[in-house]
Amino acid sequence: MQNIKIEATKYTPEISLDTNGTIALVGKSYPENTFEFYAPMMEWLEEYFNGNAAEKTVVNMEIIYFNSSSSKLFFDFFDLLDENASDNAIEINWIYDEENESAEEAGEDFIEDFEGLKIKLVQK
Amino acid sequence: MDVHENKLIAEIEKLKADFVNTTEKLIKDVKRQDKIMIRSDKRQQQEYDELERKFAEVEALQREIEETQREVVFTMGSIGESRSKETGNHVKRVAEYTYLLAKYSGLPEKECEMLKQASPMHDIGKVAIPDSVLNKPGRFDEAERKIMDTHAQLGFDMLQASSRPLLKMAATVAYEHHEKWNGKGYPNKLAGEEIHIYGRITALADVFDALGSSRVYKPAWDDERIFKMFKEERGEHFDPNLIDIFFDNLDEFLVIRDTMKDV
Repeated sequence: MQNIKIEATKYTPEISLDTNGTIALVGKSYPENTFEFYAPMMEWLEEYFNGNAAEKTVVNMEIIYFNSSSSKLFFDFFDLLDENASDNAIEINWIYDEENESAEEAGEDFIEDFEGLKIKLVQK
Repeated sequence: MDVHENKLIAEIEKLKADFVNTTEKLIKDVKRQDKIMIRSDKRQQQEYDELERKFAEVEALQREIEETQREVVFTMGSIGESRSKETGNHVKRVAEYTYLLAKYSGLPEKECEMLKQASPMHDIGKVAIPDSVLNKPGRFDEAERKIMDTHAQLGFDMLQASSRPLLKMAATVAYEHHEKWNGKGYPNKLAGEEIHIYGRITALADVFDALGSSRVYKPAWDDERIFKMFKEERGEHFDPNLIDIFFDNLDEFLVIRDTMKDV
């Protein structure tokens, strides 16, 4: 299974998916076609949790801005993690800048929605 | 028969379970969509408020910059004026005259407005002229005249390094406002349209105002004498087209002079 690294653009975050269990999304997320953009990531995750997962998976999300379809995509993303949370050690860090209130609030919302996931708010 | 019935029931039970599952999933999805919508709306509102606040801030800063620029430019003009023998509202009137001349020359409104701000700086170079020359009562001798005449070059040197369009324009005005249409002016003896329109305009405005104002060393000229001189200098000292514009719109120039006269 290959690692994936997608460089950030003006509208999309940097994505790195490493089979050693490190997953990171950093930047802004308002792609023109959100589901198309994230499709490779979601496919990779399916494959990863289908017997290729590392002992521990750490997800670092540092999204400074995102649109509503990204919001939907993140729900799907967390759903996928949720489904695999019982068989895998998954740790999620929602990283936000002190001054970015809406990023902080978004993190709080996800914690509320996904009680089964270990989501930690991390202030930069 | 019983078995058959039981099988059917089992199938229906399964359908029911599937249906419940599916509807639950759908309900969850719809709820989620609603949630996303509410959050997005909230976020958008916050972001829009933030944008509006920032825009207002930028606009206020822009105004501040423009006002500061206007003030600095005007103050510089006044400094030039205080160092020259011109007094009172001279630079203000020159500003208005240059605006009119620019407008009737067909320059775009923005440029006219800029020239109105830049032209008061035409004598800024005089800050570098020694007091002994500048404040000498009566006529200059040849050496003193030469020193006085350097104020055009000095003004240009002060302003030309700026990359601000307004100050660049002021540099041109300072440099060329003593050039004459016939090529007998200074500092570069430029002739005709070699002289920038800003310089030609300011030359006329400056002379018109200076002649019509009284000074310690001379009384104000009466209009007849000024107009006669302007007609004689049409195509000599002054751009003939600007002289025509001046006479075609004389009323407006006189209104400015009357409303802004020195008290």
